[in-house]
Amino acid sequence: MEATREIYWNVGRGAIPPMYGFFAAAAGAMAYGFYKKLAVYRSGKALDRVSGPADRLARAVYWALAQLKVLRNPFPGLFHAGFFWGFLLLTAGTALIMVQEDFTVRLFGLRFLQGDFYRGYSLVLDLAGLAAILTLLVFFVRRFLYRPKGLETTADDCLAHALLFFILVTGFLIEGARMAVTELHANPELARFSPVGLLVAGLLPGSPAALEGLHKSLWWVHMFAAFGFIAFVPFGKLRHLFLIPVNYFFSDTGPLGGLKTLDLADENAQTFGAEKVNELSWKDIYDSDACVSCKRCQDECPAYATGKTLSPMKVIQDLRRSALAGPGTDIVAAVTDKALWACTTCRACQTTCPAAIEHVPKIVEMRRSMTLMKGEFAGEEGRAAIGSFEVNKNPFGLPNAGRADWAAGLSVRTLAEDPSADVLYFAGCYASFDRRNKAVAARFMEICSKAGVKVGMLGKEEQCCGEPARKLGNEYLYQELAGENIKTFGKYGVKKIVTACPHCRHTLGVHYRDLGFGGEVVHHTVFIKELIDSGRLKLKALPFEFTYHDSCYLSRYSGVTEEPRAVLAAAGGSLAEMERCGDNSFCCGGGGGRALLEEKEGTKISVERVKMARATGRPVVVSNCPFCLTMLEDGIKAADCEAALKARDLAEVVAERLA
Amino acid sequence: MKILVCIKQIPDMASKFKPNAAGSWFSEADLAFRMNEYDEYAVEEAVKLREKDPASELAVLSVGPARVVEALKKALAMGCDRAVHVPDEEAYRKDPWQIASIIAGYAKKGNFDIIFTGMQSQDRGSAQIGPLLAGMLGFSCVTTAIGFSLEGRTATAKRELEGGAKGVVKAALPAVITCQLGLNTPRYPTLPNIMKAKKKEIAVLNAAELSSEAALAGTEKFYAPVKKGTGLVLEGGDAAALAGKLIDVLKEKTTVLRG
Repeated sequence: MEATREIYWNVGRGAIPPMYGFFAAAAGAMAYGFYKKLAVYRSGKALDRVSGPADRLARAVYWALAQLKVLRNPFPGLFHAGFFWGFLLLTAGTALIMVQEDFTVRLFGLRFLQGDFYRGYSLVLDLAGLAAILTLLVFFVRRFLYRPKGLETTADDCLAHALLFFILVTGFLIEGARMAVTELHANPELARFSPVGLLVAGLLPGSPAALEGLHKSLWWVHMFAAFGFIAFVPFGKLRHLFLIPVNYFFSDTGPLGGLKTLDLADENAQTFGAEKVNELSWKDIYDSDACVSCKRCQDECPAYATGKTLSPMKVIQDLRRSALAGPGTDIVAAVTDKALWACTTCRACQTTCPAAIEHVPKIVEMRRSMTLMKGEFAGEEGRAAIGSFEVNKNPFGLPNAGRADWAAGLSVRTLAEDPSADVLYFAGCYASFDRRNKAVAARFMEICSKAGVKVGMLGKEEQCCGEPARKLGNEYLYQELAGENIKTFGKYGVKKIVTACPHCRHTLGVHYRDLGFGGEVVHHTVFIKELIDSGRLKLKALPFEFTYHDSCYLSRYSGVTEEPRAVLAAAGGSLAEMERCGDNSFCCGGGGGRALLEEKEGTKISVERVKMARATGRPVVVSNCPFCLTMLEDGIKAADCEAALKARDLAEVVAERLA
Repeated sequence: MKILVCIKQIPDMASKFKPNAAGSWFSEADLAFRMNEYDEYAVEEAVKLREKDPASELAVLSVGPARVVEALKKALAMGCDRAVHVPDEEAYRKDPWQIASIIAGYAKKGNFDIIFTGMQSQDRGSAQIGPLLAGMLGFSCVTTAIGFSLEGRTATAKRELEGGAKGVVKAALPAVITCQLGLNTPRYPTLPNIMKAKKKEIAVLNAAELSSEAALAGTEKFYAPVKKGTGLVLEGGDAAALAGKLIDVLKEKTTVLRG
């Protein structure tokens, strides 16, 4: 027997013209749905997210086909991927029929759905359908029976579930009915290649005539369901089928953690930041529509985990509702200032988002509007900190003239005293003024001098890098502070900077580029790693047990996760990882200017992180960020476990092991 | 309504003060400067009054070296219409009588209905400028206002008295009001207003032309207080033991527990 099947068996070729008619109507409805959305997206401001289209396209196709983003979270990511691949193959299989019947047969008389290819085709599609049904069942159980915390279910979700399930089931019923009549007995050798269809065929009762009748009516029902699905895509959560892969195309190709640098000299600018929908970029609005409320961002959010108003998912959903309500809708009111001020800008939401939504820049943009347009603050302490930055160039309100006091008695000189240094140490505010972090800076100087590195500093010429002010929305103050620092770098011809703080590292190394500074900026961790690798620094490996806390601004903002682990291993450390580590780390609570603010809502983020560190059973948590060290020590005190856990900086551990 | 607000730029009070070479005042090296806190309340109150009447005009004035322009710019960004700078590199050597005379020299020609200023400066703290200015101009004067309203040409001010008591004073315009903590919360200038402020006028006037008054008082010496004895820090141990030690020290070395 020949290995193929009669296409349009039983329904007849007369079904083709109406089928294409209905298909056109469904495709038209889909196009109309997306066309209506274009106007909503277009209410945002211009932003270039199309340059370098070839690379963008390649990335979008790769991320979508490989399901790279959803697989970051293996459950339910693997099931999503299973369903995606299954449904994709079914769609491709159906399209192949169209290609054969309406193109290759008509044009060249060519039939390719036969022989071994057809056998493979049958088997692959059958298994794809099975995978789709099974994964859909898992989704059903997860959503309706054992629903994880935070997963919201709407009528939209129910409809999508029902529609997909109906299409798959009717598909197998049609196949079973056809096989019961044409293959079950007539061509059992071929039927083996459609195992699910074979199973269904065996279960279907009735005479061939009855089966043909069932087949014919189900064929039309299945077709309407499938076309209904197509028409429905833009109007429900299934829109993500298109919007998310396209969002991969639009995603930011700039450096990690980039933020738009506002043009403050623009005399035509009426508004700064975003208070209304039309003050966002089109991409922000598009992002909000690409969200499927999968709540991965919410699961990762340290503010949400500690009972604060903020949920990154809710922020995006609030923006979506606002965008649909009209371009003048007040988004700050919709999201609420309480939620906006709660963000630590830790970027966990953005890193995990399978839709490539950019949460943090939106939050900063709204904070900019609150700060720059209305002079609002996150509490009195926020106002005081901003005032201190303005007058004293540090958040503590201490005289900046004392900025080099931490180095008293050390060999490090200011560039004003000796401009011939190998590298500039940008101590930052915490290492300059905070007692605990001053000690860390001194230990780092020991390391440098042991390695024969001549380090310079700026002393009282150094100002805050501007990062906390910027993340709190005060772009004006940030650019003032940054401008002064860049001028000073220029005065001494600074080419390479090593920082104590990952926030300084990211701001100087990434954000200052927009303001004209292009020098190399590394964090002390990376600098130490370079010294070890080049053989300039030798360590005695004294064994110790520890857990490591990844700073958000090193891991998620700068991609530095391996270096600290390698350095600490070289120092003799045995690491027990916390569950949240690497670029999945859990913030200490100090980012986004939050270190300068009181944490009044919910529980303390730092205490939550300390609990995670305690769970490893290790006596030491090593970090390498002044905010983290301060927050972790606060958390240890608040959790009353000072005897069981010590927080240390990587530089301190290394300095104790200089060979 | 014509409104004037007089401000001073002062060093940040957290600074480490050192005498200047002559030992007559503090050295300005390494100091960071900001607007006198009480003058911020004055600016805020003046701007609030200005906003109620679009026909009114609000000028801000400061006497001092070039750096005070920064404080004037802040006042403009907060909402003052125009600024007057009376450059004087040696303003710190002038006594309150002379500074008040300079301001009065300007205000006389300005037909101001109301003048706001801080109740005192945070650095010199003489608290004389407001009352002296009112005297020189023949204006009514209300000091240490923690509440202010205006009806017609009558100002009503709530004043803070000793021991937390409050008093209410009514004064006919023209008047000088000196402002105290609690009067208001100074606004943070918005970016559009900072931008607009850059285009506002800062007139520069000559101090000598406004007043030639001689000083009535002069600062002879500026010095840090002599350290009396040494402090004692009790550290370590549990709270009860520390409290016990503290009580012992207080009994032995002070009189606070006797009686």
